[in-house]
Amino acid sequence: MVIQDTLFVLWLLAAGPIWAAIGMFLLPLVNKGNADKDQIPTTTLKIAGVISGFALGPLGVGLFYFEPALIRRTTLTAGIVLTVFVSSQVLVRVIDPELPSGLWLILAGPLWAALAAYFLPRQYRAVEANDQNVLTAAALGGFAIGPLIFGLMWQRTPKISRDWMIVLGSLGAWQIYTLFAIHNPANPCVASPFHVTYLTQQTANGIVIGAIYSLMAVGLTLIYSVQGIVSFAHGQLYMVGGYFSFYFLMHSSNVLSELTGAEISINPIFGIPVAAVIVFVMGAVFERFFLKPMHEGLIERVSEYAILITFGFGFFIEYTTLAIAGPFPQRTDRFIEIRRFTLQRAQITDDFAFGPINIIGDRAFAMVVGVILIFALLYFLQRTWTGRALRATSQDRQAAAVTGINPTNMNTLSFGLGSMLAAMSGAALIPIFAWVPWVGAEMVGRSYVIVVLGGLGSVPGALLGGIIVGIVEALGAGCHPDPSRGAAYKEAFALVIFALVLLLKPTGLFGREQT
Amino acid sequence: MAFFKRFESTIDNGIGRRRFGYIVLGLIILFFLWFPNDSSQSNYAKTVFISGFFYAIMASSWALLAGIAGQFSFGHMAFMGIGAYVAGLIARDGIIFAMLGIAISPESISAIGAIIIGTLIAGLVGLVIGWLLLRLRSAYLALFTIAFSELFRIMMLTEYDYTGGSNGLSLRPLLQIADVDAARQVEYYLMFGLLIVCLLVMHWVANSPIGLFLRAMREDEDAASALGVNVVRYKILIFVFTSMIVGLAGAVFYSDVGSERIIPEQLEVLQMSLIIAYAVIGGMESLVGAAAGAFISRYLLEATREVVIALPFGLTMSDGSGAFVWETGAWRYALFGVIMVFTLRYMRNGLLHPIITWFSGRDLVMQETVSKRKSDDDYDDLLEAGDE
Amino acid sequence: MKRNALFISLIVLLAMTTLLPASLVYADGHCEFADETITIGGLAPLSAPGAVAGGVAMDWAFNQAADDINADCGVEIDGVNYQIDVVTGDSEGSPERGQAVTERLIQEDEVDAMVGVYHSAVGLATMGMLEANQIPTVFSEPWNDNVSANGIREFDGAPPRFEDGIDHIFRISPASSMVGSVVVDWLLSLGVDDVVLIVENTDYGQPAAADEAARFEAAGATVSKIDVELGTEDFVPILSRIQARAEAPDVIRILVTGETSFNLTQQMSELGIAPTEDTICVTNQFAFQSDQYWATVPDGNYCAFNRVGIIPSLFSDAAVELNAKYEEAWGDIIPSFAMASYDAVYILADAMERAGSSSDAAAIVGAIEATDLELSQGRYYFDYGAHNPDLPEDTPAFMWHQWPDPIVTVMQYYEQGQSGLEAAVVYPEVYQTHGTSYIVPGTSP
Repeated sequence: MVIQDTLFVLWLLAAGPIWAAIGMFLLPLVNKGNADKDQIPTTTLKIAGVISGFALGPLGVGLFYFEPALIRRTTLTAGIVLTVFVSSQVLVRVIDPELPSGLWLILAGPLWAALAAYFLPRQYRAVEANDQNVLTAAALGGFAIGPLIFGLMWQRTPKISRDWMIVLGSLGAWQIYTLFAIHNPANPCVASPFHVTYLTQQTANGIVIGAIYSLMAVGLTLIYSVQGIVSFAHGQLYMVGGYFSFYFLMHSSNVLSELTGAEISINPIFGIPVAAVIVFVMGAVFERFFLKPMHEGLIERVSEYAILITFGFGFFIEYTTLAIAGPFPQRTDRFIEIRRFTLQRAQITDDFAFGPINIIGDRAFAMVVGVILIFALLYFLQRTWTGRALRATSQDRQAAAVTGINPTNMNTLSFGLGSMLAAMSGAALIPIFAWVPWVGAEMVGRSYVIVVLGGLGSVPGALLGGIIVGIVEALGAGCHPDPSRGAAYKEAFALVIFALVLLLKPTGLFGREQT
Repeated sequence: MAFFKRFESTIDNGIGRRRFGYIVLGLIILFFLWFPNDSSQSNYAKTVFISGFFYAIMASSWALLAGIAGQFSFGHMAFMGIGAYVAGLIARDGIIFAMLGIAISPESISAIGAIIIGTLIAGLVGLVIGWLLLRLRSAYLALFTIAFSELFRIMMLTEYDYTGGSNGLSLRPLLQIADVDAARQVEYYLMFGLLIVCLLVMHWVANSPIGLFLRAMREDEDAASALGVNVVRYKILIFVFTSMIVGLAGAVFYSDVGSERIIPEQLEVLQMSLIIAYAVIGGMESLVGAAAGAFISRYLLEATREVVIALPFGLTMSDGSGAFVWETGAWRYALFGVIMVFTLRYMRNGLLHPIITWFSGRDLVMQETVSKRKSDDDYDDLLEAGDE
Repeated sequence: MKRNALFISLIVLLAMTTLLPASLVYADGHCEFADETITIGGLAPLSAPGAVAGGVAMDWAFNQAADDINADCGVEIDGVNYQIDVVTGDSEGSPERGQAVTERLIQEDEVDAMVGVYHSAVGLATMGMLEANQIPTVFSEPWNDNVSANGIREFDGAPPRFEDGIDHIFRISPASSMVGSVVVDWLLSLGVDDVVLIVENTDYGQPAAADEAARFEAAGATVSKIDVELGTEDFVPILSRIQARAEAPDVIRILVTGETSFNLTQQMSELGIAPTEDTICVTNQFAFQSDQYWATVPDGNYCAFNRVGIIPSLFSDAAVELNAKYEEAWGDIIPSFAMASYDAVYILADAMERAGSSSDAAAIVGAIEATDLELSQGRYYFDYGAHNPDLPEDTPAFMWHQWPDPIVTVMQYYEQGQSGLEAAVVYPEVYQTHGTSYIVPGTSP
């Protein structure tokens, strides 16, 4: 550790400035050799030399010397890298006077990832190879195996299959874990002998809650696939679905109790279809009045209109609910009387035990409900005429219209169905979480991450995305070295995925390629 | 009506109306300039106006970004927060260039210097986010900025050792005036001046070649790029520009001009939705309209806290009072939502649009020369987006 | 654009502007009132992002107190009866709004005195203005130690503000140090030495947690603190982390408010972390509203919680009556801050009567300092003020203009669905109702 630190400080003190100086003198020479080409201003070259030398050393200077045309675009990239670098340095100085050497190792991954992501796709395009997925593979590879990825992918420009990505991705994940383990030996995620149990527990937590998250995201993605719009009222429809279930259960059990004279409580599972029907109608009516004109050409600039009108709809629902239901938290009875399912502790060898693992009963039930509903939806989309018509509309409107499908009805159906799914997940979660009128805001942010990760418009993508987001949140909150930050930043971990997906693969896991 | 008709006929040509419009605008500005000198007005009224100016800047810059450039961001409040927080942190901790071993002490940074740095950093973050997102479809920007502003708020709340958490962060006061009344006067003119300057600069941008490109892109991105407009670059440019405007507004407003400290609650999605609602109601395609929308909407939200309806025919309520009093509570926001939705649907350019158009005389020109663009094109765009 | 549209928009705007608030007209039978009324300003969070549920309860209490005082022929000054009118401003939980609204109340509504506030940050932000305008003020809910502290020169790092000390501000809610000490003393008396604090990252949670952690550590206990973000719903990953510890902690103390606290407590008990035989569950005053608590934390039996305010078994007639009114209006037990807010208006009315003036701030402040009044929360009096200006060395500054007796107790539920009024008081010993200082889960006292 000591040596690493010293080397690092030396590099900081000497290498950066030296290469910056070299770059500053070397790069202006470029103009002399290229009399016939466009001259680049000397000042630009000097600045580029300093920055590239400082940030990337010989690599930067050499690159610009031989490829001066790259300067403009690379300067931007280098600027960002430098910003990240400086800002993390500042952070390190502010937070901890002793410079942890691990930081440099952590930083090296993103650095190589950025380099590989920049250069490798260019190389593919240069030799006219298929450059699909290259960006993702290059970034993952740069992160996982550093400069070696250049050797693997530069000259031979192999075809990138999904296996490549999986191997590189897991390698990267393994590295993170190792680095993490070295620096946080006492962390429950790595500390033997409990960590296997603990990681399984957290992954299970993530899968359970993630499957519930996906139900809501599926609705969002369904609307997008048919109408090409994102519903910004989705969180509020989720919230109001919970309230419809709550009021239905409260009133119907009161009525039944009065009729029979005995205390009767109705299982919240019956609230789900009620909320579904009401919100389906709400969504369909809203679509007819406010979104249909959009498809009839009565509205200019539809994509902006769609964002705003759904947003306004959500605003209206949230405050109307607040005015009616009040700000006090509510909750329905539980689905099942089992508090939690426990996998008992098993002693496997003398010093290795597995378990116990706990899953809250109601959550497990809600997960099952969620997964059943998603598969029911998939069945509906794949096997019924109406479902096929929906899919056909989402793939090609004109062609669908020619075959006798009424796209207007399909629009209404998709918005109603999507809203209904949000309401159903609300009704499935009100036995689990305390319900207030602003409960939708946190949930819907997560749904956005899920649909972008899964690919806007893809139903299986939303299911997988939900589970991934659930796991990442659970592991993030469970494994962050500082429990406080882990807990407070729980939502933020999903946002990191969001940023990475947008950067590397905006179409998501299952999205259709953007043209 | 007869009077109105005669009045209209004397000025009912584009130039006459526009002149009249300038007179009205001038009168409005004169009113705002005169207002703090009215001794019957309390300091509270000035405070309300100061925050009105601030929200007017927020709404009009959002209108520039969303209405004119067609880029939907929910991150406006976050950029405002970046401006204010960076200015506050710089003034408290100074700047540290760790790699160069240089630390600039906080004392050497004036309040104005801190505001400038805050504005620049807001622009820089805008650049990074714009570079990341503006290549993609517009829904991505909306989705990501909602998430980004939430992340920023949580960070400001969680890192309370640095940011003061929910107690908020005090910025270095921009003005040092001991007398409360005099200070409020100066703060009023400062914020009003900032609003006017921002509106002028944004107006200039919106009507410059850049503004034209942006409008062209908004209408038809493919056509614009086919004509050689670098679509992404202009989008990023306007994104950075508006980020800097709100960063500046935030840093100034919270430097003890409008408020003495910035708190993370200010960055909640609700605050952002209010700004969007102001701009929509005032008119998304007009900077002045959006600014006025913010002003009027805030006034109405405040005024309708309690609706009192005097009962006719000597009727009384059960408690003996002669008026029906309705504590509107959350209902007024619900009504606000309804107005927003119906404005969007039936008066797309905002409730103030007819007034502004009438004064500008633009409708006369439009009737003669421009035939209404067929909105079918737009519909086709959407289909293509869905079909990809 | 068509002229129709122009007219429509003008008319809509005009119609909306005319819906302006007008003043209430009272018609009353049995009392002769003067034409002028005494206006008291209230400050409470009535809309988001403030804690709306708390704000509406406070607003209700202010107005209920005014109604009750008026029904009793108002405030009598020099033989003339004046009605009391409470004008509540909406602080939205933000210091900036709080300041602006306070300014409005002072300058436009010309209030004679103030009551409030819910959020400490709002209290701290408005103190300067209240002081500068010489408005007698009784705060009924902010807990921050620096509220009302004598001659405070500096708080949370900001430059000095009050050169001449705080003369006009009183507080009848406890300072957070007063609450923390009771809970910590109770837990230490039970012999805990391994404490987990789960804390919201706000101006309520952080100072309270710092104070309690310091007290625990001074007594040699180990403390681990976990910050959570208000509005988090799923705490399972965070709780699994606690569950993965080699030894279960002795106590989990929850310093989180509102529905977030309910979610956390419920998930904690569902996972079987606390309350158990090993681990004590201690939540906070929000658990006292038992209808809400049991609706959202069905498994929260045997959780202890701190409560501020008089214990239910000692409720005076006034308190019982007030609670009945609250239950009628809101369907739940009255929270202590609503009781305190109700009392605050009474304290001001009483002081004005004794001062013989509703506008002479110095006289009113003098009268408040001399308060000796039995109200719903108990007997009110103030030890330190202009009448007794010298705080002893070991007395913290917040005792200035501070009601020294807000009763802080630790209560514990021991039956599923139990009313907060019937929960056992376990600490301090003088108030114990069931003769035990802790009810072990699964047993009955």
